[in-house]
Amino acid sequence: MAELKISPFRTTKVLRAQIDELLDVVSKAALAYKHGMSHVIRSSWDDEAEERFEQVSNFETRGDQLHDMIGRSLFSEMLLPDRSGDVLGLLGSLDRLLDEMEKGFVVARIERPTIPDELHEKWLGCIAMVADTIDQVVLAARSYFRDPQTALDHIHKIHFFEKETQRAALQIMEQVFRSDLPLDQKMQIRGHIWLVYRLADVADDAGDELAIYAVKRSV
Amino acid sequence: MGLSFVVFLSSGLFLGWSLGANDAANVFGTAVGSRMLRFSTAAAVCAVFVVIGAVVSGGGPSHGLGRLGEVNALGGSFTVALAAAATVYGMTKFSLPVSTTQAVVGGILGWSLFSATAINWVTLWRILGTWVACPILGAVFALVLYQLTTLAIRAVKPHILYLDQWTRIGLLVAGAMGAYSLGANNVANVVGVFVPASPLENVTFGSSFTLTGQQSLFLLGGLAIAVGAFFSRRVMMTVGKDIVSVGPVGGWVVVMAHALVLFVFSSESLQTLVAGMGLPLIPLVPVSSSQAVVGAVCGLALARGVCGMRQIRWTVLRNIAIGWVATPIVAATISYIALFVVQNVFEQVVFV
Repeated sequence: MAELKISPFRTTKVLRAQIDELLDVVSKAALAYKHGMSHVIRSSWDDEAEERFEQVSNFETRGDQLHDMIGRSLFSEMLLPDRSGDVLGLLGSLDRLLDEMEKGFVVARIERPTIPDELHEKWLGCIAMVADTIDQVVLAARSYFRDPQTALDHIHKIHFFEKETQRAALQIMEQVFRSDLPLDQKMQIRGHIWLVYRLADVADDAGDELAIYAVKRSV
Repeated sequence: MGLSFVVFLSSGLFLGWSLGANDAANVFGTAVGSRMLRFSTAAAVCAVFVVIGAVVSGGGPSHGLGRLGEVNALGGSFTVALAAAATVYGMTKFSLPVSTTQAVVGGILGWSLFSATAINWVTLWRILGTWVACPILGAVFALVLYQLTTLAIRAVKPHILYLDQWTRIGLLVAGAMGAYSLGANNVANVVGVFVPASPLENVTFGSSFTLTGQQSLFLLGGLAIAVGAFFSRRVMMTVGKDIVSVGPVGGWVVVMAHALVLFVFSSESLQTLVAGMGLPLIPLVPVSSSQAVVGAVCGLALARGVCGMRQIRWTVLRNIAIGWVATPIVAATISYIALFVVQNVFEQVVFV
């Protein structure tokens, strides 16, 4: 028997799958970033780092494609007329997170920094926390689509992790500039930890936007 | 059917057209204004269901209007409908909120005064009662529907995209119900005054389907309203944008509450059911869809508590209330003067 192709939920299903995929992509990219950057800190740039970089780069490309497709569908199908701006804003924030994660790898690939052993522990903690921040953003975004009230519960965790990441990043910078390392290395390390600091900042901005969108949906 | 009947009926059809152009906005304004439905879809659904409602269930409210004053000459029917149409047109021109129902009732009262026919005070009070009950009922329905809808959404927690799609379907179904009820309830405004003087006879299609003379008249009225619906784009956008702050789900609540109010005052089955339960009889009279919508919007604001109450524009509400009082008085005055002119200048029989 021929399958009935006409369904009022056909476009909805496709779009929902795309949004879910974008959220999965960001979540997976955060994991790849955490493992890849941790490896770079511990072992400098090698094949595994190259592999992780390609993973994150592919996630970023897929994220861009999904963002474009979702935006086009929302407007051409006149879906979510009152919320399309918010949804696109949220997806744009997630896309920026992917860009920032890729940027971290690109800079590390070009500069191949050597991080002193005494900074490893703190640096790895910083990277783990920024990955947690991104994870909370993804969780909050998932909640926004179903239950905006729950999204607000994740947002305070985003702020907490962002503050902790930035505190650790500043401590690393202070430690580096008080050390006897040559100035060029200090500047290089400062540049790399600054990228982690910025990634946390972008995640926090996404959390702030999400909080507004969630409140708007709850009213 | 003589040519004179067609000429006389033209004022009723014009009234139907303007009713369609104005009141279709009450049915689908929120959906179209918030871009949840396309105008062409809304107008087509509205047109189809208005005609079905008019032909199938238009009888009850028409009898209710007939009891107020049986306009027994075609000239009188023409003049009353023309007076109502002129009132609606004039007040709309001056941006005053207007109800076709009130204009028609005012027109009939003008005829009763002119022809010195005794006014049926019981029916008049009943109709006036519905003008108070209609917005209150709209508010109550909206309040209850909003609470139930919010509870359901909180329990089910649908994905935003599915909620959007269900709201679209809900708006289409509620709009179709609203259009059916509009046709059933308001066709009496359009051609109700022509019923006592109508020369239309029964028409049989095939061997089983018969359209009574009254149903044929309602079909013409329904078609006039349906055509008017296709000219309601601007009003729909205005109503939609005014009420758009309620959001698509709130819009569904408003449209549904509006449909229910019109249904309550149109359904003979519901009247029989209520009477069977020993409850007071629901009067089947044409009610104002604008009043139902305004009541529903206020009900929605009340359901949202203090925050919602702050959103109510009290000046706009005051103007609407003034319009509701002024409309029947203006229509009655125009009707009285027009009947005098038609009788004495054009030498037409306006009452028997």
